[in-house]
Amino acid sequence: MHRCLFALLPLALLGALALAKRESRLWSLQPVRLPHAPTVKNAAWVRNPIDAFVLAKLEAKGLKPAPEADRRTLLRRLSFDLTGLPPTPQEIAAFVSDTRPNAYEKLVDRLLASPHYGERWARHWLDVARFGESHGFEYDRLREHAWHYRDYVVNALNADKPYDQFIREQVAGDVLESAGEDGVIATGFLVAGPQDEAGKGAPGLQVRLRAREEELEDMIGLVGQTFLGLSVNCARCHDHKFDPIPARDYYRLKSALAGAQPGNRSVLTQKQAKRRDEQAMVLRGQQAACQGELRRIEEPIRARLLQQQGATSRSLPTTPQPLLRWTFDDLPGGRLTLDGKSGRFQSEPLAVEIREKTLESWVSLADLNQHGGSVLTLEADGGAPFDAIVFGERQRGKWISGSEFYNRTKDLEAAVETVTPGELVQLVSVYHADNRIEVYRNGKPYATAYTPVSENGTLRTYAAGKSHVLIGPRHTGSGDFLHGEIEEARLYNRALSAAEIAESFRSAPFHVAPEALEAAFTPDERKQRKTLTAESTRLAAELKALETPTLTYATSSQQPQPTELLLRGDVQSKGEIVTPGGLSALTAYSPHFGLAADSPEAARRLALANWLTDSRNPLTARVMVNRVWQGHFGRGIVGTPSDFGNNGESPSHPELLDWLATAFSGPGAWSLKKLHRAILLSSTYRQSGQFDPKAAKIDADNHLLWRFSPHRLEAEAVRDSMLAISGQLNLALGGPSFRPFTVSNYGSDFYQLVDKDTPEFNRRTLYRMGVQSARNPLLETLDCPDPSTKTPKRTVTTTPIQALALMNDSFVLRQSRAFATKIIHEAGSAPSAQITAVYTRALGRPPTPTERTRALAHLKAHPLDSLCWALFNSSEFLYAK
Amino acid sequence: MQNNPTHRRHFLTQAAGGLGSIALAALLAEEAWASPEPIPPAPFPLRRKGESGGRAKRVIQIFCCGGVSHIDTFDYKPELIRMDGKECKKVFDTFFAQPGNLMKSPFSFQQHGKSGKWVSELLPHLAGRVDDITFLCSMKAKSANHTPATFQMNSGFTLNGFPCLGAWLSYGLGTVNQDLPAFVVLPDPRGLPAGGAINWTSGFLPATHQGTAFNPKGNPVDNLFPAGDVNAADRQAALGLLGTMNQEFGTANPGDSALAARIRAYELAAWMQVSIPQVVSFESEPEHIKKLYGIDDPVAGGFARNCLLARRLLEKGVRFVQLYHGGAFGSPRINWDAHEDIVENHTKQARSMDQPVAALLTDLKQRGMLDDTLILWTTEFGRTPITQGVGKPGRDHHPFAYTCWMAGAGLKPGFSYGSTDEIGYDTAENPVSVYDFHATVLHLLGIDHTKLTYYHNGTRRRLTDVHGEVIQGILR
Repeated sequence: MHRCLFALLPLALLGALALAKRESRLWSLQPVRLPHAPTVKNAAWVRNPIDAFVLAKLEAKGLKPAPEADRRTLLRRLSFDLTGLPPTPQEIAAFVSDTRPNAYEKLVDRLLASPHYGERWARHWLDVARFGESHGFEYDRLREHAWHYRDYVVNALNADKPYDQFIREQVAGDVLESAGEDGVIATGFLVAGPQDEAGKGAPGLQVRLRAREEELEDMIGLVGQTFLGLSVNCARCHDHKFDPIPARDYYRLKSALAGAQPGNRSVLTQKQAKRRDEQAMVLRGQQAACQGELRRIEEPIRARLLQQQGATSRSLPTTPQPLLRWTFDDLPGGRLTLDGKSGRFQSEPLAVEIREKTLESWVSLADLNQHGGSVLTLEADGGAPFDAIVFGERQRGKWISGSEFYNRTKDLEAAVETVTPGELVQLVSVYHADNRIEVYRNGKPYATAYTPVSENGTLRTYAAGKSHVLIGPRHTGSGDFLHGEIEEARLYNRALSAAEIAESFRSAPFHVAPEALEAAFTPDERKQRKTLTAESTRLAAELKALETPTLTYATSSQQPQPTELLLRGDVQSKGEIVTPGGLSALTAYSPHFGLAADSPEAARRLALANWLTDSRNPLTARVMVNRVWQGHFGRGIVGTPSDFGNNGESPSHPELLDWLATAFSGPGAWSLKKLHRAILLSSTYRQSGQFDPKAAKIDADNHLLWRFSPHRLEAEAVRDSMLAISGQLNLALGGPSFRPFTVSNYGSDFYQLVDKDTPEFNRRTLYRMGVQSARNPLLETLDCPDPSTKTPKRTVTTTPIQALALMNDSFVLRQSRAFATKIIHEAGSAPSAQITAVYTRALGRPPTPTERTRALAHLKAHPLDSLCWALFNSSEFLYAK
Repeated sequence: MQNNPTHRRHFLTQAAGGLGSIALAALLAEEAWASPEPIPPAPFPLRRKGESGGRAKRVIQIFCCGGVSHIDTFDYKPELIRMDGKECKKVFDTFFAQPGNLMKSPFSFQQHGKSGKWVSELLPHLAGRVDDITFLCSMKAKSANHTPATFQMNSGFTLNGFPCLGAWLSYGLGTVNQDLPAFVVLPDPRGLPAGGAINWTSGFLPATHQGTAFNPKGNPVDNLFPAGDVNAADRQAALGLLGTMNQEFGTANPGDSALAARIRAYELAAWMQVSIPQVVSFESEPEHIKKLYGIDDPVAGGFARNCLLARRLLEKGVRFVQLYHGGAFGSPRINWDAHEDIVENHTKQARSMDQPVAALLTDLKQRGMLDDTLILWTTEFGRTPITQGVGKPGRDHHPFAYTCWMAGAGLKPGFSYGSTDEIGYDTAENPVSVYDFHATVLHLLGIDHTKLTYYHNGTRRRLTDVHGEVIQGILR
């Protein structure tokens, strides 16, 4: 019959069928089906269906499961597995003597409810998410606000946030209003990888485009590998060589993610930000009224005083004499008002060439939190080069002398600006012939003078007829604008001296000394003014509190251009336009998101999030239950947890995988804690690690689970255990990471590791700031992964360098001593009692008689800390059985 | 090589102070259980059936950070003299996008050696060694941005987190020495390259293959000796106790090879405590060798010491030594990134690189080591034949064409491969990609670059991604 059918089909369709047939062979793309638990001979061993699936395979090979592990072993195993910490002697005593039939269940529930469960399992997730707290690449700058995402993962796990919601928030939480701040923070996931700041900020366009393209590949690879277990990123330059992923699918996903931009942002959602802006508007209105009232009182007196000073007209010469001077008397209020959004002033082209120079501006700031506007810019037509007096660009609330690519700019050691709205402040920037740059504020030096390093002794020249002055934006093309008012601006074609600047400040025609003003008020006015000033200050503080955002390193939504398919992944070889979509190989539902190529950014990532968590997606649940299984057993049912494609391993227990996936993703479920519980309560998990040479011959790698495979603790668990056992562990949860380094800069940021004995440094390793280039030799040799690498499964190596770290690292030595001190304090001076205590704490068991004798002999000649050191280096300490 | 335990024990007994006795204790305590095994090579064939292995056994890579100008060093362009100051109509992919006009090399060139290679006056010592060198004059980089281009030269990829050449070789070939790391990095004494240790990561390869950076001060290798005071007798006794504990745990838990490996690791660690101080000490080096490298030179001394150390490490069986010449992009410039002034910058950088690298060639050759050692001299890209900014004396980044060189095992000496056009803008003959470069290095070490793979996240990863051709034209 097939033959007949084939004869009728056109060739093209035949080809399509062949492709579909090849694709359909990939097991992971088949729908998840709930299998029946198989029947087994040793039914008494079966505690839940998991056991039936495992035992059926063992029996088929003539193998038997290992006997159940003893209680000490189970407790130590579970404690490390669920919290990453060893059990305390009290916990051991309680569990060993707990005779209730459900003692084990109680223990599992207690540990799952512990806040340390989230800390432990967050680390597994952060490995997959390639979570780093610096940017990597050339500058490797710190990500001060990235820790919010780490806490998000910990909290989500502790709260047993449904896994589908967990996915949606990490992919599109910032545009998912219902998720609130949590959703914004969750998108730290997409951008947790390395970021090429030098490339993305390069003046050269090709360099910039390529840097962004690489960043997007990293993001697409992350989404594909983490949630789907498919290496979608392999299809950037050509159709995937092994899996049914055409390059078009890659660009569809790119279209869905192309508007996700990394960076620090407010934790507020769009709606929350809008509400905040409305509140701020009200406050600003009140403040403006207050200021208006103040001015109403002050202005007549100021005018009178100015008249007395003899300055009745702007035409009076100023001291010193500028080349050019801009005043705004004909504008309302006599000042240039800049709205901080688009307000600008640009002069006519300058008639003379400018080299040595001084910029001076009198300004009042509407907002001290504003970013990067200029009170006076001298620039060549087109915007580069430029020199400018810039506010709040690199450091909030501070002035700098701005320039193109910071060529002549330095962060200044100076006080944060405190001027109140309406109050004028004088800013001066002086550019000397020898390249020295000085900034002055209100007639006094603002910071130490400096000589820009990159200028090589050649002063910038601003050509006559091709340069102009700009106020408002930092330079032509900048998106940052000043928010405030300019009273007057002046340009000098020479470098003013300190005395001249002081004189200019003192003698400005519109400048009334605050003391003179104060003295001229009537007592009533003074009182009224005091009240108004207090009110204005209060409002300013309230505004500041409202507008100082809590920042998080996460995703910001930016409307992208339509996505073009790039031939061979080359940014210069553009092909057809594609629309947002998922993988075409998932045929149970449409891979098209129904969105146009120019659809709004938010809709794209929301559609992707929904496509990923659709109940018809066979990969999402399978991939996650496999990760959880790997977390408990050291190896997944699929040995390649981020690769369910043709290059990955086949599942050792496909029916079990589907049973778990069905149970996990069933209606109203997606509960990770229920999944953990089912696995942990099984007989399979409770087996001992007892070795069976006969079984090893048949199944050397224990894929069939004839025993519980012992495994070495992860780097974090080793360090945390040492702290816990020595009594030094600081269990504070969450918050900013501790920084075990000092930072220096030489173009790049460099991190010099430091090891301190302070509570902060004794926090869990999860809270150690994960800088790409500041890896810790102890943790690194214990296989703590490169943070820039997506690590679905850690390698376990044993090396001499690792032995050296465990032997000699200052941390290990200090914890050995602290451990000894603690035991001497608790167990007293009798060596035998000390030996019992150190063994019980370090290994979870008392010493054997032989060990005791040996240790007693050792302590006769050597201090207790050397015994503690040996225990911290022992294989038994480093392994969970 | 001193792998004979008796020999070693003799040395240890004579070593002064606590260190000797600590290491000795470990050695004596553990000698009975396991003899040290080197890290094995990758458990699969690294070359096609019937193909012979390469001659190279070990590699030194000198990385000149910042981008060395090809047209001011090894790629002589007389046509540029004629066109000096003229406008160049070609499209450039530079970092700063400030194209100036064409600029001739401000340095004079002369022919050298039997091969008649043109070399600029910047490099008088290397000019004397051109007959030992195989020049690749037609290199092409993928990025005009330092770090991605450096990553590519190191790892084949322009991204963070991919294993670098040294890590691949450690993984593919294993170690021949047991008491020194397989892959050693010697950063420029003036400062680390941008990104520091990011540059010698093992990426997704096991941590064993990570580059070990030698520190110029203090412990030559992190944690080689205890931080702070540890009583030698206490440590010795505790090591004995630890050995017994680990042995008993291993016996009680059969079937876990890692437990035996841990015991071996402590033994090797003890050996490292002897070997590393030995190798970093130049006491046994004769004066004329120190002078050859110029280790007392006030300018070149720091880098010269690293070059000499590199030779000593290779002699002791280290597989791969990576030497950085130049650091990060701070100010003043401590690398070849001559945006501002090519004369000022390159004169200064060449001064500290030239003699030590030439000495390394001379020294390896006179010891017969050049026959089975490969020297790689690399940089991330070249520099533009135009100036950066009109009338300025600097050059911007240039990925379209640049020069690297190799020397040693299996290569045609005194040979130049590939060429650039008359102004050094683009490659003219035989362009060489970074993939080709890596494929050739692996070939010279007896590895088929398509066979050296490691499974990671859905892909059998290679140093050469899915590209790379061995450059047959430079092979002997």
